[in-house]
Order: sequence, then C-alpha cells, then structure tokens
Amino acid sequence: MDTASQSAQVSVEGVWKVFGRKVSEAQAMAKNGASREEIQTATGSVVAVRDISFDVAPGETFVVMGLSGSGKSTLIRCVSHLVEPSEGRVEVCGTELTRADSATLRDLRRQKMAMVFQHFGLFPHRKVVDNVAYGLEVQGIERQERHERAQELLDTVGLEGWGDHYPQQLSGGMQQRVGLARALAVDPEVLFFDEPFSALDPLIRRDMQDELIDLQLKLQRTLVFITHDFAEALKLADRIAIMNDGAFVQVGTPVEILTEPADDYVRAFTQDAPVAKVLQACSLMQPLDGRGVSPDWPQVSETTPLEDALPHLLGSTNPVVVCDEQNTPVGLLQGDDVASVISENRG
Amino acid sequence: MTAVDEVRTKAAGLRTGSEHRLARFILAASTIVVLVLVFQLFTNFGIFPDSWDIGLADPIDRARRWLINNQTSHWLYTVFLNPITDAIDWGIRRLESILKWFPWFSYPLVTGLGLWWTRGRFAGALGLAGVALIGVIDLWAESFATLALMSVSVLISVVIGIPLGIAAWRNESVARVVRPTLDAMQTMPGFVYLIPFVLLFGFGRVPALISTVIFALAPVVRLTEVGLRTVPQVTVEASEMFGATERQTLRLVRLPQARPAIFAGMNQTTMLAMSMVVIAAFIGAGGLGQVVLRSMQNIDVGRASEAGIAIVIMAIVLDRFSTGIATADPGRDARAMRWLGAAVSVVAVVGGILGQNEFPESLNWQFAPYVNDATDWARDNLYDIGDSGIGTGPFSDFVTLEFVTPLRELLSADIPWPAMIGIGMVLGLWARGIRLAIGIGAALFAIGFLGMWELSMDTLAQTIVGVVATLAIGIPVGIMTSHNDLLRTALKPVLDFFQTIPSFVLLVPVITLFHVGRIPGIIASVIYALPAAVHYTDLGLRRVPAEIHEAAESFGATRGQRLRRVEMPLAAPELMVAVNQVIMLILAMVVIAGLVGGGGLGLEAVRGLRRSDAVGRGFEAGIAIVLLASILDRLTRAFADRLRPPAAV
Ligand SMILES: Nc1ncnc2c1ncn2[C@@H]1O[C@H](COP(=O)(O)OP(=O)(O)O)[C@@H](O)[C@H]1O
Ligand SMILES: [Mg+2]
Repeated sequence: MDTASQSAQVSVEGVWKVFGRKVSEAQAMAKNGASREEIQTATGSVVAVRDISFDVAPGETFVVMGLSGSGKSTLIRCVSHLVEPSEGRVEVCGTELTRADSATLRDLRRQKMAMVFQHFGLFPHRKVVDNVAYGLEVQGIERQERHERAQELLDTVGLEGWGDHYPQQLSGGMQQRVGLARALAVDPEVLFFDEPFSALDPLIRRDMQDELIDLQLKLQRTLVFITHDFAEALKLADRIAIMNDGAFVQVGTPVEILTEPADDYVRAFTQDAPVAKVLQACSLMQPLDGRGVSPDWPQVSETTPLEDALPHLLGSTNPVVVCDEQNTPVGLLQGDDVASVISENRG
Repeated sequence: MTAVDEVRTKAAGLRTGSEHRLARFILAASTIVVLVLVFQLFTNFGIFPDSWDIGLADPIDRARRWLINNQTSHWLYTVFLNPITDAIDWGIRRLESILKWFPWFSYPLVTGLGLWWTRGRFAGALGLAGVALIGVIDLWAESFATLALMSVSVLISVVIGIPLGIAAWRNESVARVVRPTLDAMQTMPGFVYLIPFVLLFGFGRVPALISTVIFALAPVVRLTEVGLRTVPQVTVEASEMFGATERQTLRLVRLPQARPAIFAGMNQTTMLAMSMVVIAAFIGAGGLGQVVLRSMQNIDVGRASEAGIAIVIMAIVLDRFSTGIATADPGRDARAMRWLGAAVSVVAVVGGILGQNEFPESLNWQFAPYVNDATDWARDNLYDIGDSGIGTGPFSDFVTLEFVTPLRELLSADIPWPAMIGIGMVLGLWARGIRLAIGIGAALFAIGFLGMWELSMDTLAQTIVGVVATLAIGIPVGIMTSHNDLLRTALKPVLDFFQTIPSFVLLVPVITLFHVGRIPGIIASVIYALPAAVHYTDLGLRRVPAEIHEAAESFGATRGQRLRRVEMPLAAPELMVAVNQVIMLILAMVVIAGLVGGGGLGLEAVRGLRRSDAVGRGFEAGIAIVLLASILDRLTRAFADRLRPPAAV
C-alpha cells in the first residue's frame, strides 16, 4: 500500500460496476476499448463504471462532474457501498469496504460517513426533527439527547423552528437543508453528495453552494461531491474529476482543468465556463521567488477573481502584484498568462 | 433500415401473428364441430350422462358421519381441532363480554365522535343516530355477536396477513405462491368457503370464523406487499447509509411508509369480513345474519329489513371509520379529540361499573310492522297491478319464460354437452392458448363427473342473464358519468352505498317486490354488480388521454363516432375488467340466491349446509361453483389481456 492511499480518507482503486448478467464478458469488451452502447448491444449488460481510481485526502472536496448517465451515481454508490462494485477496492477511513462484513460496514456508516441525496430522500412520515435525528436513533441514542442534537443542527442550517413540520411542508431548498442537517447530525468524517442541489432553483442552488462552502470552512470534512454542473464543480472543488461513459477523462484542480483541458470532451465544458469569474488571482500568478516589487504596480488580493484583476492589467504594461491576507506580496500576475488562458477559454 | 421500414416490418409481424392465431382458431373450431357431429350420429346425447357421475357425494357423506361420530374421541379432534375450536370460541366470547361491559351509550358516542373527527360534523351526527337506531330496533345483542365475530376475524386476518405480505414482498418465491393463491381465493364466491369447514367443524362460529378469515385475507396481504414495494428506494438507501439494520429499516422506514396501503388493505379486509360474517349465518354464526336468514324463511320481511338496516349501518360505520383512519393526516392536531376521547372513556368506565350496559327497553321502537304492511300492500298492488298483466309478478314471469328458461334449456339440453365443452375450449384457445383450453375442458368434464352438469348450466344461464342486464345498464351509465362530472359526483354516494352493503342483505328488499324464485336472485345480483360495471366503464373512458380526444375531434369526428371508434376501443381492456368483475359478483350473488329459491348450484349448496344428509351433494355443488367461477374468471381475464394494446418496444 502506498503512502498516498494511507493518508487518504477515501481511496478507490480499479473500481468497475457492470449492471446485468455477463459481467466478465462486458468487462473484457470494455478493456478492449468498446463503448458502452456496443457492449450493451452485444451482452445486454451496462458498464456503468469502468476502472476508476482516485484518492481523497482528509478535508479535501473532491468533485465528480459528468453528464447525466455517465455513471456518477453508480460510482458514488460503489464508494459508499450502496451497490457492490463488480471489481476493485474501496477504502474509507482505513477500512476496506469491499471486504468488510455487514456489521463492520454498518458501524462505519454509523460513525464515519453520511450521504446527501439528489431527491433529498427524506422520510415523509417523520417530522423534520425526527428526520435529522434518524442516524442517532439508529445508533440507539436516547430521544432527549438526539432531539437536542437535531435542534442544534437545524439551527446550523438555518431551520430553527421548523422541527415540528413534515418535510413535504417545506420548500425544496429547505428540504435539502434538512437532508444536510441529517447527514451532519452523526458527525461524519466523510460526506457523500449525489447532485444535492440539482433539483433546486438556480438562485437557491447558489445560496446552498455558498453555505456549503462556509460550512466546509468551519468543519473541514472530507467531501465527495457529484454534479453535472461544471460551474458548481469549479466553485466547490479542490479537485475535479471529469467523467464520461463510466470512466474518468481528467482529474485535476479547477485551474488545471481550465488551463489544460485533456481533450475535446473536457474542452467542451471549459469553453463555456466563466473562467474570468472562476479563476482567482492566486491560481494564475507566478510566485515571487525573491523578485522585487515596485510600489507603483497595482495590487490585488489572492482571492480576487480574474475579471476584477483584468482592468489593472489592461491599464498598464506592468504586472499586477498579488498579496496575501497580511498584505505581503506573494506573486505576480502577468498579462500574457491571463491572455492565454482566456483565449484558450474562448477558443 | 429506416424507422419507417422498421415500423412496417413490425406491423407486418403483428399481422402475420394474428392471422396465424385466426387460422389456428378456425382449425380448432371446425375440428370440434366435426367431432360433435360424429358423436351425435352414433349416440343421442343432450345432457351429461348420469352413469358418468363418479358419486363423490357418498364418500363425503360417509366422512361427515365419521367425523360426527368421532368428534369426542379421535385424536384429530382431541389433539388438534377441538383445542383450536375452543381457543377461537373463547376469544370471541371474551371479546363479546368485554364489548358488552361498556355501557350502551358509549357506542353511539364513540362512533359519533370518531366520525366527527375523521369525517366531519354531519357524518358524526349520522353515525351517532345510526348506532342508536340499532339499539332502538332491538338488535343490540345480535350486533355484538356479529361485531365480535367480525373483529376476531379481522384481527386474525391482519395478524396472518401482514407478516404474509412482508414475506411475499421479501421473497419472490413466496410471492409466486401467495399471489395466485390469493387471486383464486378472492375469485370464489364467499359462500363456498363455508362448505368444507362445516364438514370439518360442524355448525357454529368457529367454521364461520375460519371461512371468514380465508375469504377476507387477500386484500391485507396484497396491499401490505404493494405498500412495501412502493416505498421510495431513496429513503431506503438513506436509512442504509445511516447504518440501519434491515429490521430497523423495515420498522422505521418501510412499514411506516407502507402504512396507508396496509390500512387500505385492512379496510377492504374488514368489509369482506363483514359481508362473510353475515353470510355465515347459514352455518350458525348467529348475530344479525341469523336474524335476516330466519326472518326471510318465515317471510317476515319487516324483521329482515330491520336486521338488514342494522347490517348496513354497521358496514358503513366500519367502512368510514377504517378509511378515515387510513387517510388521516398525521400532522393534524389531535389534542381536542384526545380530551373528548378521554372524557368519553371516563364516562364509559363509570357507566360500566354502574352497570348501564343493556340498551334500555324503554327506547325500543320497531318499524318491522310497517314494512310488513308495505310488503303486503306491494304484494296486493304491485305484484300484479289490477289484473292488467303489468307488475312485478308478470315481469318475473316474462323474464323467466323469455330469457332464463330458454337459455337454461339451450345450455343444458339443446346444445349437447360435448359441444358445450368444445365451445368452452375454443373460447379458451381464442383468448389465450392451448393450456387454457385444456384447463377449461378439464374443468367442464369435472363438473359433469360430479353430476352437476344440469345445475351448473342453470346457474350459468342465470349468471348470463344477470351479466347482460348489468352491462346493458351499467355501461351506458358509465359512459354518461365519464362525460359528465356532475352526474358522477351525484351517483358516487349511491354506488358507494350499494358497494358497502353485504350482498346477502340486498335480497331483502328484492323479495318484498318479487317474491321468491330465480328472478329476485338475478335482480339482486344486478343491483349488486352495477356499481362495478359503472365504475370500470367510467374509469376506462376517463383514462383515454385528452390529446386523443382532441385529435379525434380535430378530424371532425362526431360524438358518437368518437365514442365508438376511439374511446371504446381504447377503454376496451378496462371494459373487459368490468365484465370480469360483473361476472364474478353476479355469480356470487346468484349462488346465495339459492336461499330464496334461485335454484341451480346455489340451492344445492344451501341445502347441503342446512341438512346433514345433503352435505355430500352440497360439497359437490361447492366444487362445481369453484370450477365455474374459475372458468369464467380465467376466460374473461385472458380476453382482457388480449385487448390491451401491445407494449411499447
Ligand atoms: N440498477 C441499475 N440497473 C441497470 N442499469 C443501471 C442501474 N443503475 C444505473 N444504471 C445505468 O448505468 C448508467 C449510469 O447511471 P448513473 O450512475 O445513474 O449515471 P448518472 O448518475 O451519471 O446520471 C446508466 O446508463 C444507467 O442506465
Ligand atoms: Mg445520478
């Protein structure tokens, strides 16, 4: 076992998932490069996930982005072991799920992981507070205690006072807050999100994304986040995996994906992405490496979006100085670098 | 190949398929005609030969005698059946005495309060008055007997049914056994369940209870399974993700979400149990059914009507209660009701201690005499209105002479029995295939071997007349309600009402007008089956998508054309379901009508239940009813399947 996967909180190695009878035949065809349709017509089986490996470090947000049907849900279900992978190894918090017996798996789910679902998956017969307390109830925690904890979490997600309602009496955005509170209630180390915001209106979606970012800053959990929305991926991710036809096409930081798309499939997403909004000054700057800085040069902070730094670049031939939170210069933003990224984007 | 080509080939495939089927059908039909003619040349047969009767009745009668003689000594009884009997009997008695311990006024109060809460003020007031009326007409004790028997039956059905439903949901191979068994059990007229149990246990409440449980079990099992199956997968996954065990997920997530379906099943089970408990009066179940039965035998229509009304009140209250519970909104504030409930409980307990449990005689008032007067009047004035040849009597005669008798003659004598079997088999072949054909042939032969050929044809003739009459009324009404929401809303309570009434009770008003014989049975069966005919026609026509209506209209089709060319064909499968339901309901009722002189298999079965020397014949008749019901059910279901448009490819 290499060191990377030892320090990783989620480690996935060579995972396959084939739906249907002829698993090995389908896998053999896939290894010879056959597409999903070809395999399906030949064997009747669907190769939903093909040979996927990745590691997620503690505190990292790993986003899997792909079009509908690309196998994202199947992948995250393999990782959380809601479906059994046809082949491969999944390790969460140091326990190998693919070999664990059902008691171990159950304990791991109770202690270490939680999931937020696309269509919320709330229990319509339970009050909001009992939804949130569900994980604790399953663990056998007393009513009084679990309700207190549930109330706390409802406050955290901005739903104080809604505990006695039933989920279906809440709006979609509020329902997903319940979903989030329910997942957080068991204090998990790893959180799985399967397109949690896809069913929401754009404005509400944005609010939820912002709140998730805030929460994550506070909680520092390990997140595996599925989305079909590239902008969402850019916004939330530490690293993004682009998925197509069951396989990863490219894995990298948002900047890497934007600046060096691996192929035309990825480029199709990056082209339409609001690069100047998404990229921040720090992502394109060159490190200072002891170079001097003129006080006349314009200054921006690390987190300034590219689009706000652009006017400074256009206004002078000098580079823009990028400063950290203490206002000490850390890098330089060069007009050429920015121009090349933006022209690639328009490309 | 272009898409158009593809469609063409597929259409051609369909056509050759159906041509092939037609050719097979013609071949089979002509073979049978030839065979029948050849037979006819050599022998001269109308009805099934007597000498082929295998005489099952004798061994049954011997078994019955043996059972009676050994009831106190044989291990089958001492170790097995008697303890069961005693336990069940003890349970019913116990419940009855508990029910009777409460003071009389707690029942109308609780009913009124419960209905008020679940259904509103008006329903509450009606419930209170209805339950009080049962006491007023002096049927309090009988009602408790019926209620106790029914409650224990429902309890046992639920205790067996829910786990069975869970097992069927969990395990496909259990489901594969349970589902068709339940289907078959529900197809049978409830009446026939009485026969084997009376054979085994003799008369009394225990065989009544067992046959009620069997008759009423199906819905709770089926709806438990359906309810569990339709729990959203994502909630189950959510539960699993929290590390819930299977049991926890079942208890905390699946069963609560299946609750509405399970309650709907319990409601249906309750209604079936109610109707069966009434019919079980035939084998000495006592209670209200007994009053109806005895009064009808004494031609005391008044008392029969009183008991009938008590049964109807009980059925409706139970129905409204159980649907009210099933559809109750979990979010509703129940505080006020809890207070009221607590207050009533206190009053009930205090009253119980003070011994206020008999319904006060001073409140008695009976309307039976008036009904009897009205019946006499109807007999004198409506049965034959002033020698004019108009009236219910001449009507009965007319239907009997013009339809029922000729049809019976046709089926049992004019068409030779091999031809009848041939026709049945050809219909089976046409509707589904060779297996159904063979099944039908075997069933018909079996009816013959039982010596029940003629009686079965009698029952079949009555059923056909009833079905034709029901469809002739029900389908047009269904068409009207499907086009007219107002009419539908107006008719709904009436149809609901008739569907809630236990079948047996319907005979009471009918015999006031039509006396005894085959006609009152047929008329009662038509009334009994009409709601189903209207409902399924309406349902089928309403399922036709609005776009199709509009498309037909845009081609300038008239209303009539639209109905004939578009709506009816599209609704055809549903209409066939209507036919199926109607046939089964009519058959069930025609059989019960054996009691009022309906003749046919029903009469034979009734006699078998009442006279211990006729048990064997009754048993044979019961089997014949089962066979006849199965044939008709399979055949109409197969036709319904055929009418469904091919599934999308
Ligand atoms: N239980 C299943 N049985 C068979 N095929 C499935 C099943 N679940 C998903 N699939 C197939 O696997 C593929 C990937 O599906 P999914 O993982 O849901 O994609 P995504 O979440 O990216 O939309 C699809 O072609 C889908 O039809
Ligand atoms: Mg998905």
